[in-house]
Amino acid sequence: MEESPLHPFELHNFIPINLGGLDISINKAVIMMWVVVGLISILMIIAGSARRLVPGKLQSLAEMLVDFIRGMILDTMGKDGMKFFPLIATLFLFILFCNWLGLIPGTYTVTSQIIVTGVFAGTVYLLSLVLGFALHGLKFLGILVPPGTPGWMLPLMVPIEIISQLARPVSLAVRLFANMTAGHTILAVLFGMVISLPFYVSWLPFAATLFVNALEMCLIAPIQAYIFTILTCVYLGDAVTLHGHSEHAH
Amino acid sequence: MPQSQDPLYAGLGQAVRIGTELLAALIVGGGLGWVTDTYLLETGPWGMVIGLMIGAAAGVRNAYRMAQRWPK
Repeated sequence: MEESPLHPFELHNFIPINLGGLDISINKAVIMMWVVVGLISILMIIAGSARRLVPGKLQSLAEMLVDFIRGMILDTMGKDGMKFFPLIATLFLFILFCNWLGLIPGTYTVTSQIIVTGVFAGTVYLLSLVLGFALHGLKFLGILVPPGTPGWMLPLMVPIEIISQLARPVSLAVRLFANMTAGHTILAVLFGMVISLPFYVSWLPFAATLFVNALEMCLIAPIQAYIFTILTCVYLGDAVTLHGHSEHAH
Repeated sequence: MPQSQDPLYAGLGQAVRIGTELLAALIVGGGLGWVTDTYLLETGPWGMVIGLMIGAAAGVRNAYRMAQRWPK
């Protein structure tokens, strides 16, 4: 039984919907996004409804998540950054739960589609640009000139800085997409071995499957969500403080 | 879920970032050069050559900037 390891990334329409040439069919990825949004909402609403002084299990889990996100914002943007808390928290929870739920066999990993991560990264970057120009006007273009650059270096430094700026959303999108796709491809290859090998060796790739799945769940999924959101914080913070180098802010 | 100030966790986050930082700048630089070559100016291979070089420089610049942010 041969199957392409890229088979888990294929999408088939369940309910084809065509809106004036726009394909908005319902497929597995769309349903997974609904499930993720629903799950997070239910979890947070139930956890937030009790409001006990001594928190129960669910409430302390939610408090831990909120505390983690707040720590992330305070680390990178300081107190002013708390304006962005709803955006950052939404991004973090959505990506985290997409990564986690995608690891359950039979589900779909939404973040393994570059269009999804690309739209997130593009939105974040566009927001940082709009924010920068709204707060600082044309002075915002000053981020293209690193402080302390001698005048004769400008023709070289400005193109480099433009490309390093444009690389930000690309690296944001590619990193999440590539990590998720690679992890699930490894899982699919290993599982293909389990099916095609004779039973007396097939336990070996099966054990590896379990190991890789545990690794993805404990390490890769949360760390990728963490990196995506902390970079969102850094980029928004750069736009607010007008430094391409807020490393001196620490 | 560990604290975001946890040095191991933050350090791991930093470490796995650096590779894609280099790659993304190369993609953007080479891509811009290729678009200039093919659609805008028809300048042979030179747009992509220069684009890749500037992209490599921008990637190193991004990695350097990231390392400056390293938690101490």
